[in-house]
Amino acid sequence: MNDEKRSASLSGAGKLSGGDYTRVSISGAGKVTGDLKAEALRISGAGKVEGRTEALQIAVSGSSAFGGDVVAEEMRVSGAARIDGVARVKELKCSGSYRVKESIAAEYVKISGVLRVGGDVEADLFKTSGGFEIEGLLSADKVEIRPGGRCHAREIGGARIDVRRGGYRERGILLDGLVRMFSGRGTAELSATVIEGDEIHLEDTSADVVRGKRVEIGPGCRIGTVEYSEQLDIHPDAEVKNQTKT
Amino acid sequence: MDDDRLISKKEVLERMGISYGQLYRWKRKGLIPEAWFTRRSTFTGQETFFPREKIIERIEQIKDMKGDHPLDDLADVITMHVDAKLQVAFDQLKSLKWFDDSILETCRIDRGRAKPLSIQETLCVAVLSRLRQVARSEELELVHRTLTERLDEALLDRVAEERLQLYLLRKRLSGGGISAEISMVAIAPAKVVFDPDIEQIEAVDLGHVLERIKLDLAKEAEVGSPGGKTDQDTEDVQ
Repeated sequence: MNDEKRSASLSGAGKLSGGDYTRVSISGAGKVTGDLKAEALRISGAGKVEGRTEALQIAVSGSSAFGGDVVAEEMRVSGAARIDGVARVKELKCSGSYRVKESIAAEYVKISGVLRVGGDVEADLFKTSGGFEIEGLLSADKVEIRPGGRCHAREIGGARIDVRRGGYRERGILLDGLVRMFSGRGTAELSATVIEGDEIHLEDTSADVVRGKRVEIGPGCRIGTVEYSEQLDIHPDAEVKNQTKT
Repeated sequence: MDDDRLISKKEVLERMGISYGQLYRWKRKGLIPEAWFTRRSTFTGQETFFPREKIIERIEQIKDMKGDHPLDDLADVITMHVDAKLQVAFDQLKSLKWFDDSILETCRIDRGRAKPLSIQETLCVAVLSRLRQVARSEELELVHRTLTERLDEALLDRVAEERLQLYLLRKRLSGGGISAEISMVAIAPAKVVFDPDIEQIEAVDLGHVLERIKLDLAKEAEVGSPGGKTDQDTEDVQ
């Protein structure tokens, strides 16, 4: 009932109780207890929201932790974000590390660095360079992956799926280090059990099944079965055990 | 499970003339329920199967309607996720065919009233109109009471997920030359088992009814009567 909204700023070490705010800014080490609703949330340093977060804009530089779901129009992270719930963010950009316990529902996702998701990732456009681990389904109209580390999703599906080498070299040394650190190995490749799409281009990918209309299997791929309806091209440096035209 | 009731994803695409992109997009928008996706290992690797009749019907609906609705609105319309706050404009309902004065009376809805119906009331009207052929008037009353007193928001949310059905049951008891019949109403998931003396008069799939309501309303909205929007903050996404 109380429409008077406040803005709050924490610097140094502090605590803020949840509620409805206009702008919340945390610099230093800050914690929000309870659910937070804000027009803008800015975290530089180390910030934590213990409950659910709802905001138009979230900007993180440094490290952040969210104890519940995060709902936002826009979220930008340089550094690290950990979400112990669902991330429902229209536009999500992260360079660094982004970890979500449950799932991501977005329109646009761009991650350079490391992404870890316990469930599904849904977006219109999904772009990554770096490494990721998605335990469920990665689904987007357009999926663009430049493996810069170990990339894995249980399943990938969408209209266009494009996996190409090259993510590695485009980024700075720091990020590479970070990616290696998190992904454990030096390998930069994608693995999935099933990949389905209308137009598929794969490089450095291993998958049990690839299904699509027009499929291009590029260098460095190891595929169990390709099922295609219109066209299939296989690079000489790729291994495809079975192929069927349906 | 009998396999002829399932259809593979490949077959769906081929038969309905749609693409992987469309299917995944519709799934993302909540137009195709997660529960319909069944993964199975086949000799060609893992494949996804759907309940044959449902998926075909659903895709036909989507294809039919998507010319007139942006996909996101369509999701509001078709999606099984129930918005308890959804209010149904009474005027709109009036033009729908499942309207009948006796049902209105049972539901204690005044035909002249201007206030929009709640989703519970709408559901009640819809369920009663499905039962009116088989149920006695006191049973209709019992159904009405069950729906209004027992179907709160939490239960409404479970309707789709647990495929809740409303069962109308009768049980005959006899002994000592006297016999009596009692009527019962239950809301329970599909495939519930009753004792052998219970006669199941009717089972109404509540999720199906909700879907039907939304679809009917969407069709009405197409004709041009405003007020059927469920979302206050829908923006124009093109």
